Amino acid sequence: MNTLQLLLKGASEVLVAGLVFGAGLPFVYAVALRVLTIGSTAYADPSGEIHSTPRMSSRLFAALLIAVVVAGIVVGMMIIVATGFGKEVSFANIYPTIVDK
Amino acid sequence: MDAANITLVLVIVTALAFDFTNGFHDTANAMAASISTGALKPKVAVGLSAVLNLVGAFLSVQVALTVTNAVINLQTKDGAPNPELLADGGQAVLLIILAGLAGGILWNLFTWLLGLPSSSSHALLGGLTGAGAAGLGWAGVKWSGDGTKLDGVVGKILLPSMISPVIAIAVAFTGCWLVHKVTESVMHRLEERYFRYGQVGSASLVSIAHGTNDAQKTMGVMTLALIASGHWTSTTSIPVWVKFSAATAIAAGTYLGGWRIIRTLGKGLVDITPRQGMSSDGSTAAVLLSASHLGFALSTTHVATGSVLGGGLGRGTPVRWSTAGRMVTAWATTFPIAALMGALMWWIGDSVGGAVGASVVFLILAGFSTWIFRSSRREHVGADNVNDEWEKAAEITSPAYEHAPVTHTGDHTDDDEAEHGRAEPTETKTH
Repeated sequence: MNTLQLLLKGASEVLVAGLVFGAGLPFVYAVALRVLTIGSTAYADPSGEIHSTPRMSSRLFAALLIAVVVAGIVVGMMIIVATGFGKEVSFANIYPTIVDK
Repeated sequence: MDAANITLVLVIVTALAFDFTNGFHDTANAMAASISTGALKPKVAVGLSAVLNLVGAFLSVQVALTVTNAVINLQTKDGAPNPELLADGGQAVLLIILAGLAGGILWNLFTWLLGLPSSSSHALLGGLTGAGAAGLGWAGVKWSGDGTKLDGVVGKILLPSMISPVIAIAVAFTGCWLVHKVTESVMHRLEERYFRYGQVGSASLVSIAHGTNDAQKTMGVMTLALIASGHWTSTTSIPVWVKFSAATAIAAGTYLGGWRIIRTLGKGLVDITPRQGMSSDGSTAAVLLSASHLGFALSTTHVATGSVLGGGLGRGTPVRWSTAGRMVTAWATTFPIAALMGALMWWIGDSVGGAVGASVVFLILAGFSTWIFRSSRREHVGADNVNDEWEKAAEITSPAYEHAPVTHTGDHTDDDEAEHGRAEPTETKTH
């Protein structure tokens, strides 16, 4: 492969992974915040404080979404630790594991 | 003490000095957005980033000994210095490293004075390439890879630096757009602080990753110098004191906080809200870690800047294109100018010769650093004024926003984001 092909291959991989994690996880987090407002009544008191009580189902769904975000952060930490130890993260088992390069 | 030993001491001190500049030059990459949106107070932000850089640096168990192999032919594949360069107690190798580090520091300090976020790794590799070209001849420079992977000046520096900001802009733009789409109808019921949490989380990841990657480079260069001068033999481990000193230097630099650069990136380029900030920082963390995982060399600085820009564009916030232009100019010139400085330093050191030559290089570096420091005091930028309003409002050239006030962030009026720049984290309770 020539340099340009290598560049485009590498860049497109980074772009896809970046979109999935970098745009996807903030999106999931925003959806979680949005879900918490469903079925809840909210009002702001005169001091500007917001009071709301989300439904239980909303809370559970939001917790699930937040768990997805946390999982993403854990994968990120694993990549950092793996880099530090000269290893890499493998997704061969679907769930990420740190393996030798 | 013979010439090589004196030069070695100078190399070690200079390497730690580079690591220190690397710290404060790059604090902005992780923390500029969090500081400008008020997610973290300036001092808290640099403190957090410094601690995380330290943690990251200690995670660097692997030796990044082959760091110069990306651009010059100074080392063999396993990281040992080329044997033919080891006459005179490794003086030839030591001078190239010293001159390269000096070139990198000079450019890092100069761009810091101007408040420009340029890439520290490009400055280091640029300096080493220049010193390598001067010391080894053009054949000593590795221009491109062998076709199996991206390598050399073209494959590891030039091309990635053009494409990485584009990737970051695309990711942050998409993230910002999605986050706004999902939350805009209920924005009056959501609190900014939730977005700030997301921002601080991703900024923390960037800080740890920075400690791991960048401290590793300095540790590698220091160890290379020790091997060249015969004070260390292993190519698979590094001395404990090298690790401690490099980790401490990058963390101390980070804690100093490159306020000028934080200000440019956080306030000068585009005024972002916590929602945009979360998208930007999420993008920076994800793009950097994906690239690290996929083995694609990217500069943290280019990614962080692209992400801030993307977060701004994703919401149509006016961008100060003149600031963006200055940044791009700094990016394009970082590698070649650091290379020129590295070459110049090598030439001076070699002309004088021996330990005296190395000392002259060191003194020039010290003198220039003092001059930069004194110049910087004329226009103070620190934790106290890093978030002040960027005055050059006339610089906004985006035609659609010609008449938009600088403090206002686009077309949405459903919340109090106009105040985000100075807002403290909201202390609202939800129950």
